[in-house]
Amino acid sequence: MSEKNSETVANKLARLSELVAWFESDDFVLEDAVAQFKEAQKLAEDIEHDLSELKNEIVVLKKKFDEE
Amino acid sequence: MENLVISVTDAIALINQTLDYAFPTLVIEGEVASFKVNQGKFVFFDIKDDTGTLGCFMMVFQLRMPIEDGMRVKVVVTPKLTAWGKFSLTVKEIQPVGEGSLKRAFELLKEKLDKEGLFAPERKRPLPSLPRRIAVISSTQAAGYADFVRLLNERWGGVHVDVAHVQVQGFEAPKQIIRAVNYFNQQEELPEIIVIIRGGGSADDLSAFNDEFLVRAIAASRVPTVVGVGHEVDESLADLAADVRAATPSHAAQIIVPDKNDVIRAARHEVVRISNVVDGAVTELSSRTRRVLTDALRSVEERFARVADLLASKQTMLAAYDPNAVLARGYALVRGATTIGGTIEIEQAKRFIEAEVKHVREK
Repeated sequence: MSEKNSETVANKLARLSELVAWFESDDFVLEDAVAQFKEAQKLAEDIEHDLSELKNEIVVLKKKFDEE
Repeated sequence: MENLVISVTDAIALINQTLDYAFPTLVIEGEVASFKVNQGKFVFFDIKDDTGTLGCFMMVFQLRMPIEDGMRVKVVVTPKLTAWGKFSLTVKEIQPVGEGSLKRAFELLKEKLDKEGLFAPERKRPLPSLPRRIAVISSTQAAGYADFVRLLNERWGGVHVDVAHVQVQGFEAPKQIIRAVNYFNQQEELPEIIVIIRGGGSADDLSAFNDEFLVRAIAASRVPTVVGVGHEVDESLADLAADVRAATPSHAAQIIVPDKNDVIRAARHEVVRISNVVDGAVTELSSRTRRVLTDALRSVEERFARVADLLASKQTMLAAYDPNAVLARGYALVRGATTIGGTIEIEQAKRFIEAEVKHVREK
């Protein structure tokens, strides 16, 4: 579950970077900018929310390493 | 016992049995002398102090750090009487002790492994930027481990962390760490990073991380490694063999995951930045629109002025043809029959005159 969420954060960060790159590219057109901007704004909010919620899962292995 | 007669072989066996019962293992500290390797396999040396000397034997593959005469070492041994009647210590473990000996062993091994290319920069692999599965090798009781976990949890979330609890100092430490490295490298689902951490300690405490076999295991790991041992000033050979060296366990956490607060700030900053791009584009567009409208208006005004000029010129022309203007200059208009006795009307600028025609003459 946590891995899935973490991956989603990674995906959202990647998508946000894509959008930012679009705004700085020659493909930028004002007609599409509002929709793209809204998506970026929503992603930033989601990333903040996800990162505030996510917890690490720490498992100390039962396996002993004191013998072969 | 005095009446018991036994063979030499049995006597040796009996003595060894007694020794084994009385001293199954001894840990002895002393200085190495007469160190030599025979046939590339057998190691002989003496361990001595101011007043005594003991002969030692071990196999070359048991050497985990370079040893040479003059080094102070700690040995784990089993005392034994050989078939030739010589008393000898069979060495199970050997480790340099004391700052000078450890430093010398470190330098010798560093030079050897460096020549083999184990520390070469081109061997270093990049770490994944947002790992989801990592493996930690440490003692869970160590302060360094607690620092690592605290910082990891503060900085990022969503990471699955498998922890191998091992000894991080002493003779057993390198073996346990190697087993843990191998264990993680053999998993069906490999971790993305193996992190080996230990807090600060004396040179003796940290010497486990200069173990040749451990250094080789780290260098051979399929999974990229981060080693954070001791404090910033401590350098171990395990550090040098790792893909990434962390100065401390806390620093290891900082290397492995970003700070979520930085990421959140960066995401917000990106939104502000692209909002400025949109604002800029809107400003540019409205400015362009204003320029177009201004140009259009100027064009209309110019056309209007041209038409106005034309009109004025026509008006001037028309004014020149105005009969009243001619009358104003003193001329008169004459209407009526121009026959003798006829009546004519003479129009001047300010009056009309009726007159009778008395004479008509051709020009």
